[in-house]
Amino acid sequence: MSSVEVPWQYSFPPFFTIQPNIDTRKKQLEAWCSLVLDQLKKDKNYSLDVNEAQKSIFSNKEINRKLSLDGIYMVLDELQKRGNLEWKDPKTKKECLVMWRTPEEWGKMIYKYITDKSMTNTVCTLFELSSGDETAGEEFHGIEQWLLIRALKTLENDGKAELMKFGDNEGVKFF
Amino acid sequence: MRRRGAGVAAIKNKNLAQAKYKDKGNEIAEDQITQMTKQMETFKTYLEDFAAKHKDEIKKSPDFRSQFQEMCASVGVDPLASSKGFWAEMLGVGDFYYELGVQIIEVCLATSHRNGGLISIEELREKLLKSRSKKSQDVSYDDLLRAIKKLKALGNGFTVLTVGQTYMIQSVPGELSLDHTTIIQQAQSTGHISKSQLIKDLKWEEERANRALNYMVKEGLVWVDDQTGSDRQFWFPSLFSANTS
Repeated sequence: MSSVEVPWQYSFPPFFTIQPNIDTRKKQLEAWCSLVLDQLKKDKNYSLDVNEAQKSIFSNKEINRKLSLDGIYMVLDELQKRGNLEWKDPKTKKECLVMWRTPEEWGKMIYKYITDKSMTNTVCTLFELSSGDETAGEEFHGIEQWLLIRALKTLENDGKAELMKFGDNEGVKFF
Repeated sequence: MRRRGAGVAAIKNKNLAQAKYKDKGNEIAEDQITQMTKQMETFKTYLEDFAAKHKDEIKKSPDFRSQFQEMCASVGVDPLASSKGFWAEMLGVGDFYYELGVQIIEVCLATSHRNGGLISIEELREKLLKSRSKKSQDVSYDDLLRAIKKLKALGNGFTVLTVGQTYMIQSVPGELSLDHTTIIQQAQSTGHISKSQLIKDLKWEEERANRALNYMVKEGLVWVDDQTGSDRQFWFPSLFSANTS
């Protein structure tokens, strides 16, 4: 695992055993949740494969510890409860979408960018927003389409934007 | 020959002598007391002079401070007893310890989510120094222990546990028995302990080891690790960070 600011718990062996004490477990799950989100955020990664994550993020070879599958699901369920995660297929629970920022947060961020640039009342394509040269330095640059659409939908609900389709392209108009 | 009984004159004489002895005794005792008082007064004056003269050093150097404290204690002066007293005004030491007390509480609270309210004095000092401004005085372990002792005035929230050569500070209520501190001591070098270690090293009954360990899990003082391949290990976050930093 390429490291972010690794939290101290990551080298603390019991961190990889689900704790029997409820309060301690709460702290443990909390730490796991932020570790997962931080790591994916750093890698600009929007999805997680359980099998693969078991070998990377949920294990620490240096101290020879890894979180059990039960433990991993406990962490992921917690993330789902918090609205940071969605299963691609809730039945199999093999892969999930991870939103280290909620769609609302993304929406706000994009809207701020638009107003800062006085681009309200103009139309831009989704491609421009996520991959255009203009947005290269922005945090939402490189955002995956599904998440971008969701973020824009939250703006649409607030009456701040309108999604539109022209031919194969999708675009959005901000108000 | 007929023995003469004690005459009246003899008895009178004896009584007189006794009264005289008593008077003399009182006189001597009084003398001694006045002399002692005088000596103590002189000593106190010297101590005060000394304190005034070395005010800065007392404030700055932890070693000097602890020696000064000892000296004061041996003559029954407690510079911390009141913040309004002569000593506090003279030295400002009262404020120093009160300030320290507040900072200790802050550090203990800030770290308790991690260590369950148990912190080694080394880590406490390190965290404390980090949070204090660079200009403020250096703080010794002795200062910390003194300040914690003063926190007793607020109730029994803070307890100092003697663990082997060093100390740990417990900032959550919850009685730790001798068994528990023994466990901490055993775990001190590695940061963790297992039941079989306790049974082997301390000749404890399994039941005793179980009860003590389970209590510490319940109190959130230890985390369990089931991936050692053998016995479940009990880890102290409070000892772990001290080991790595």
